[in-house]
Amino acid sequence: MANTEEHLQEIKNIIIDGDEDSAPIAVQEALDDGVGALQILTQGLVPGADEVGELFEVGTFFLPELMLTGRALQAAMAVLTPALEMEQAQSGTAVHDTGTIVIATIQTDIHDLGKNMVSSMLTASGFKVFDLGVDVPIKTIIAKAKEEKANIIGCSGLLTTSMPYIRDLIDTLVVMGERPHFKVMVGGAPVTPEWAAGIGADGTASSPVGAVNLARRLIQEQREEVAS
Amino acid sequence: MTIYSYHDILDRARSGPYMSEEDWDLKKVALTTRKLVRKYDLRWSPEEIVTNDPELADAIFAAGLELAQAIGVYSRSTERIIEFDEAELLEGLRRMPQTLIMGEGKDARTLYARQIMDERRPLVWAGTPGTPIPEELFLPSVLSWMQEPIVDLVTCGSLSHVDGHEVRTADPLEVMATRRELQYMRAGLSRVGRPGMGMLAAQSAVSELGDLAVAHPDYLRPCDSHLIPMLNELKIDQRNTARVVNALEYGMVNASLVCVIVGGMGGDAPGSAVVNVASFILGNLVSRADYQLLHPIHMRHVATSTRPVLWVESIVQQAFARNAPCIMVTDVYPKSGALTRELLYETAANALVIAVTGGHLEGVGAADGNAPNSTGLEARFMGEVGHAATAQRLNLEETNALVLRLLAKYEHVFEDPAGNPGARFDRAYDLQTLKPVPEWQQMYEEVRAEVRAMGLSALA
Repeated sequence: MANTEEHLQEIKNIIIDGDEDSAPIAVQEALDDGVGALQILTQGLVPGADEVGELFEVGTFFLPELMLTGRALQAAMAVLTPALEMEQAQSGTAVHDTGTIVIATIQTDIHDLGKNMVSSMLTASGFKVFDLGVDVPIKTIIAKAKEEKANIIGCSGLLTTSMPYIRDLIDTLVVMGERPHFKVMVGGAPVTPEWAAGIGADGTASSPVGAVNLARRLIQEQREEVAS
Repeated sequence: MTIYSYHDILDRARSGPYMSEEDWDLKKVALTTRKLVRKYDLRWSPEEIVTNDPELADAIFAAGLELAQAIGVYSRSTERIIEFDEAELLEGLRRMPQTLIMGEGKDARTLYARQIMDERRPLVWAGTPGTPIPEELFLPSVLSWMQEPIVDLVTCGSLSHVDGHEVRTADPLEVMATRRELQYMRAGLSRVGRPGMGMLAAQSAVSELGDLAVAHPDYLRPCDSHLIPMLNELKIDQRNTARVVNALEYGMVNASLVCVIVGGMGGDAPGSAVVNVASFILGNLVSRADYQLLHPIHMRHVATSTRPVLWVESIVQQAFARNAPCIMVTDVYPKSGALTRELLYETAANALVIAVTGGHLEGVGAADGNAPNSTGLEARFMGEVGHAATAQRLNLEETNALVLRLLAKYEHVFEDPAGNPGARFDRAYDLQTLKPVPEWQQMYEEVRAEVRAMGLSALA
């Protein structure tokens, strides 16, 4: 039987390797050996995902590694989440909720590379991510965000002639009276902070890691707004 | 088997094996490419942008052909794989045009399959493909490069507005924008006395709508070309196959545009080069390529002047020049914009790599093609550098040494999160005379002298 340290190290390595098949098995084995679910999350999965993010930022890892880690993390979380909820219920602490994000490339635009990178990094950072794909109509994005009670809508566009539809998304949220319920982050190669501010978005980031930090900040702001 | 008609492609897109797009990206493209990079032991060095390694070029080509045969092309519309056997791929390679007349009358030019260190001049295809341009700047900016004597062929950016209205993809305004673009292009060519010059146009046709709207001799002539983009990576959709069908029946020239993301699904530079080779090979069949348009994109910095992208441009051109000569037109898309010295250094580095390793020159899409910050002056410089490289008969080692010196002059721009976009066209050019403002002209002359002193002595 492996000890706690060995389990956590193995889980971290599996996440770094992006091994989707081994991830749920390793998590289950750790749980069976009595390792705490929260400990698996914070000392196994998250450090693994963080390291992948760092390796990506410095150019050692590339997009496939990032996406494979996202997949491995999703597979691990499928096993871990019920255990995490049970553990937190037993201890009487609040259920760990990192936040829910609906993400898409805006209608008429089929470029998904940046969106996929951000989606993978958000997943790897523990957010519940609903990636709707590319060329997604505004009404579909809003309907999904409402259905999942998302904290954030993330929307990307590479084509300058598709970017106006991102503005339409925000305008539609406003006229529907839904704007206060969602933070909106936008992205894409031509998107600048000035343009994002000009259309009424809550922020933009120029890298996947920046997007994760932005999402964390926006959710924190949202919770503070609700609390006040 | 022989592919007799485009029906074969459309049928396969409907009946090929099903696969989800995410599985295509990861299991087919990424993992197969990774295996091939290991199998052929493909490596690159940031210090050797222009390699003199024929075995490496051949291995990149072999790996790309193997990738094309192993996975084929994914139809995003039908979620089916369009597969090809080796004989079909080889036949596609054999059929690649070796010469292609663009334009008409006295202004016509003949594109040709170039060799490595070819002593013949590359053609100079000036313009800013993909760059959004406000309507009021469109005609003056295209005139700024149409009027340059060194320019053989022209292209343009996309109209971002018409009559003050914002243009949107697949919107009725796209039809208006694409037709307006062609009206300006034809008017511009007449104004500079080169009405027959060949164009790559319909750049405002982001969807198939605009493309269909200009397939008429009053707009895009059969002697002009339009884009058939291969989507990242190794994908196509019905919207783009519709462009092919329309072009086949109308008769205009197909430019198979491949914009492999370097650092994307192919991984580092060698894997990206392999994906690029496979894309060209498959583009012969699914895009009915008349010529190949090479435009690798750096995943973080976009620019073609980054080390890994320059390497990919060099090795892909060498791979085809050695194994399957074809017409390659290669984009110059620097990070920097007008009124910056870096734009000229970046343009020179790109032009050297392209001209010496087997391509024709297209550009300049300054400032990552994100802003109307391009002018005719850097297009002239691109051509001058390309011509000087061939006149001087630069070899691969000499070219690499020059490129490394140029990189040292501009690579700092990639460290700045804001980039180095420079100035808009109307700040860099006098709109009345269509000449560079004195500051821009002086910068050009100084950098030109500097590049000559670096070793490009034929830059007279």
